[in-house]
Amino acid sequence: MALLDVNGLEIFYGDLQAVFDMNFTVADGEAVALVGANGAGKSTFLKALVGLNEERRGAVLFDGIDISQMPAEQVSRLGLIMVPEGRLLFDSLTIEENLLMGTVNRRKGSWTLRRVFDLFPILEERRRIFPGQLSGGQQQMAAIGRALMSNPRLLLCDEISLGLAPVVVEQIYRSFADIRREGTAVVLVEQDVKRALATSERIYCLLKGRVSLTGPAQGLQPEQLTHAYFGN
Amino acid sequence: MIWVETLINGALLGGLYALLGIGLALVFGVMRVVNIAHGEFMVLSAFCAVLLSSLFPQVPPLLMLIPVIALSFAVGWLYQAVIVNRVVTSPDPLSPLLLTFGVSVILRNVMVEVFGADVRSLQVGELSRASLEIAGLNIGIMPLLTLVLAALLFMALQLVLRHTEFGRIVRATADRRDIVRLSGVKPDRVYNYVMGLSLALGAIGGVLLAVRSSFTPFSGAERLLIAFEVVVLGGLGSFWGALLGGIALGMAQLIGLKIDPNAGLLYAHLLFFIMLLIRPSGLVSSRV
Repeated sequence: MALLDVNGLEIFYGDLQAVFDMNFTVADGEAVALVGANGAGKSTFLKALVGLNEERRGAVLFDGIDISQMPAEQVSRLGLIMVPEGRLLFDSLTIEENLLMGTVNRRKGSWTLRRVFDLFPILEERRRIFPGQLSGGQQQMAAIGRALMSNPRLLLCDEISLGLAPVVVEQIYRSFADIRREGTAVVLVEQDVKRALATSERIYCLLKGRVSLTGPAQGLQPEQLTHAYFGN
Repeated sequence: MIWVETLINGALLGGLYALLGIGLALVFGVMRVVNIAHGEFMVLSAFCAVLLSSLFPQVPPLLMLIPVIALSFAVGWLYQAVIVNRVVTSPDPLSPLLLTFGVSVILRNVMVEVFGADVRSLQVGELSRASLEIAGLNIGIMPLLTLVLAALLFMALQLVLRHTEFGRIVRATADRRDIVRLSGVKPDRVYNYVMGLSLALGAIGGVLLAVRSSFTPFSGAERLLIAFEVVVLGGLGSFWGALLGGIALGMAQLIGLKIDPNAGLLYAHLLFFIMLLIRPSGLVSSRV
C-alpha cells in the first residue's frame, strides 16, 4: 500500500478551481518530483495535502488514514510535514528555537537538535541568531531542519532552491541522501526540473491544474517533458 | 525633598499602571487585537474581590487575589474561545474592535444590574495607610509592594516567554499563525491561553487599583484609557516599554497633582498626548 494515496482531488480558491481530478501516490521511502510551470497548482496541491487549504474535495489517504478533511495541526502529528515555500521561519525566535518548534507535535524518531546540527553545521554556529540575520541558504537549511525535527515520514519540499546560489543548492540537495537514509519519503516541488529529476525516482508534471505526465524520472524523453510542461 | 518623594510615589503608582497595561499589550502583541473590554474585566475582577471579602470577612482581602486571578484566567480563556476567536482572523480590523467594544458595553450594564451603581473600594485596613520612613522620605507600603509585585510579574512573564516551550509557541504564533499549524500547534488554543493570562494580569491590576481608589461599574473606560496610554507610551507590544510607560504616567500624574490638586489624571493624559506627537512609536520600539 502506498504511503500517500491521492484520488480524484479537486482544490478550490473561492470560486476558482486550482487543481482538477488529481491522482498522486508516494510509496514508503520514495522520492517523487512534482514539476510544472508557474501557477500550475503545485504549491496549492501541497498546501491542500497538509491541510492549509481547506477548500478541497476527493480522497487523500496517508498511511491508510483519511486526511482529506483533517486540519493542519492534526496532519502534522501523523508525520506529513511540509517545508513551506519562502522558508517562513519564525522571525522572533532564534534559529535553535525555530528548530525546536518542530518538536511540538511530539513525534518520536531519530532526528534531534544534535543530528540537524551535524547535517547543517552552520546552523549550530548560528543557533543564537535570528532568521533575519541569516543568508537565504542558511534560512532554507533552518526551514528543512525544523521539518526534520518533526521526524517526518513524508517530507514535502516546496521550491527549496528558489533564489539560492547554485553552490548552496548543491549543498542542500546533498543532504537529501542523509534524510532519505532514515526511510523518509520526499516530494520535491521544483522549478529546476533537471535537479528534481536527478534526485527523484518518479515524476509528476502539472499543467494548468491537471497531471499532464507521470512516470519514472529516468529515461524521460526531453520533448515529452517539454510538451507536458508547456502544453501546446 | 518633597519633590523627590513625589517622584518616588509616582514611580510606585506607575507599577500599578503598568499592570493595567501589560495584559492589553500581551493580547495586542500576540493576536493584533485591541481588547476594548479589558477595562471592564478589570472592574469585574475588583467586584469579585469585594464580594469574596464580604463573604469571608476573616480572610485578609489581598488573599482574595488568588481565587480572583484563577477565575479571571478561566473567564479570559472562555471569552477568547467562545467570542474573540470568531473574529481574530477577520481581514477587517474593525471586527474585533467592534466585538470587544460590544462586550464592554454588555459587561458594564450587567455589572450595574448585579452590583448596583454604588461607589465601592476594597478595604485592606491598616495596610493601606502604613508607610516606611527612609532617609526622611515617606513611602507607602502598599504602593511599594505593588511596584515590587509588578516588577516580579514582568520578569516572570519575560522568563516564560523567552525560556519555555509555551513561550516559544506563543511567539511563533504571533509571527506566523498559519505556519505553526504545520508544527502541530492550534493557534486558537494558544490565543485562549494568552487571553486567560492577559485577564489574570489585568485582575491583579484591577484588584490593587480598587485598594487605592474607589470604583463603580463605569470605571472600566477610565482603566482602559490608562492601560491604553501605558501600552502606546511604552511602544506597542513591548513589555519593558509598558513598565516604563506606566512609571512615566504615574510620575506625571503625581507631579500634576502637586502643582494643581484638582488636576486628577490631566497631566498624565497631557504627557501621553505630547509623547504621541514627538515619539509616536513609543519609548521602546520592539515586538513581543
